[in-house]
Amino acid sequence: MQQIINGLSLGSVYALIAVGYSLVYSILLFSNFAHGGFLVVGGYACYFLLTQWGYSVPVSMAGALIASGLTAIITERLAYKPIRERTTTTLYLLIASMGVNIIIENLFVVTVGGRIRALPQNTFPTGIFKIAGVTLSASDIISLVTAVIFLTMLQIFLNKTRWGLAIRAAACDIRTAGLMGVNVTFLISLVFFVAGILAAVGGIFLSVRYSLYPQLGSITTKAFIAAVIGGLGSLPGAVVGSLILGLAEMLTAGFISSQMRDLVVYSLLVIMLLIRPAGFFGKAVSEKI
Amino acid sequence: MGGYQEGIIILMCINCIAAMGVSILTGFTGIFTLGHAAYMALGAYTTAILTVRYGVHWIPAIIAGGLMAVLIAWLIGLPTLKLTGDYYAIASIGLGEAIRLILENWQSFTRGARGFPGIEPYTTRICAVIIFIGLAIITFNFLDSRLGRELRASRDDSAAASLMGFNTPRTRMKALLLSAFYCGIAGALLGGYMSFIQPSMFDMMKSTELTAVVVFGGLGSMSGTILGSAAITLIMEYFRDISQYRMLIYGLLLVIIMVFRPEGLLGSREIWELFSLENSKQEDK
Repeated sequence: MQQIINGLSLGSVYALIAVGYSLVYSILLFSNFAHGGFLVVGGYACYFLLTQWGYSVPVSMAGALIASGLTAIITERLAYKPIRERTTTTLYLLIASMGVNIIIENLFVVTVGGRIRALPQNTFPTGIFKIAGVTLSASDIISLVTAVIFLTMLQIFLNKTRWGLAIRAAACDIRTAGLMGVNVTFLISLVFFVAGILAAVGGIFLSVRYSLYPQLGSITTKAFIAAVIGGLGSLPGAVVGSLILGLAEMLTAGFISSQMRDLVVYSLLVIMLLIRPAGFFGKAVSEKI
Repeated sequence: MGGYQEGIIILMCINCIAAMGVSILTGFTGIFTLGHAAYMALGAYTTAILTVRYGVHWIPAIIAGGLMAVLIAWLIGLPTLKLTGDYYAIASIGLGEAIRLILENWQSFTRGARGFPGIEPYTTRICAVIIFIGLAIITFNFLDSRLGRELRASRDDSAAASLMGFNTPRTRMKALLLSAFYCGIAGALLGGYMSFIQPSMFDMMKSTELTAVVVFGGLGSMSGTILGSAAITLIMEYFRDISQYRMLIYGLLLVIIMVFRPEGLLGSREIWELFSLENSKQEDK
């Protein structure tokens, strides 16, 4: 039971990140490996706003979300847009996104150093509850609740607003959406902004849960796997995949050994790809290259 | 020639061998991989364990390293080569990392994350250069052979190629096995040069680097691959003094190349075709 709670809490953080992956994939059909970079930007922005400039917790977090969102937009404009205009091969975007990830990671190494930092203890209320023999920490509950809030907000945004409709249209067929009068350039920026925000939320949670360092973004590989397991491009898929992955990871760590957890994660990915390459909720894939 | 220059030449040869392997698969067969560092790891570990634990001479040990990579690639390829496009790339990430993690967690056999020390330094300059040149000659001849044309045919249009009577799944498998062999050899040579190997040397970063180098040189151009690989190795090594900025420059380079010249240095032409431009243009179109 304890492991299940831990797994769900970890899975909810993965879900926030994985949904960002899926959102970008659903529009541009490529896996944005710079997502980890956006997450790191969010973590550091929150850290510096809190400690160096002494802003309050809500302000710092809002600042972190905006910083990540803007980074995502800038990345899209400077790196991905020129590539998209030249070629349709998504592999180039994939490699460029890995390049962006390396740039962001090492910008932090160069400017603020690679040492491990910790967000101040009082960022989140701490406290431990015991309910029916299960220990719940406040941060677990907060991450679960926040994930639910943000994912619900995203769902409302996608289903109830005009821009949400446009995004859903573009996910079906971006060219036709463009012909129907959707401002595709703006739309893509918007999608990246939203993805950046979600990455920042994940980044803040991860830096509270573990600690903050430039390579923190590598954890998004797991979120990416979760998105693949759920079906790239499908938002409910990303959430389900994340929860499965979080549970699998925590159950392995709890009952087998913590060294095996990564191995289990990657095996899950490969098995899933072999059985159902499109994931649980994915669209059928056709040859793209 | 100083030891430093010599080291760079050896590294260049090793990286070129690995890049040639990836180029056969990615550039000429059109299967994108992001997990080929794992085959390097297999080659390196097989050779290291054979030479250190069992006292095997390094020449057969290197070949055994290559063959081990081939064996594992065959086991992996059977189910995964059915995947197409991005999905093979994603699967190869998973498999590559899984192999690395197995090496890292199999403490009793591989000494785990602490790494495997004490490998005989058999990779000298002569040895690396000879193996590189030998493999390069084989590669260029191979690409002009029937099988090489088969690879390109199944890359350009696999449906048409299979209608022409090519067994495209088997062609893809052959390309994978060959590329795994090259990477296994490269890994074995790397172990012999460093005298020390560690699973983290063969992580996803390394795999990405291999594919990026091939794209940088030009997909479908073997001379481009070699040129690109040599150039990237030189840049990375000579910037070692400013090591903090090294990775930053590498990342920038990746993005800039993708933005300004996604077709790579040479496109899909070989270097000697540049000197007879008119002919090659006709061939392209």
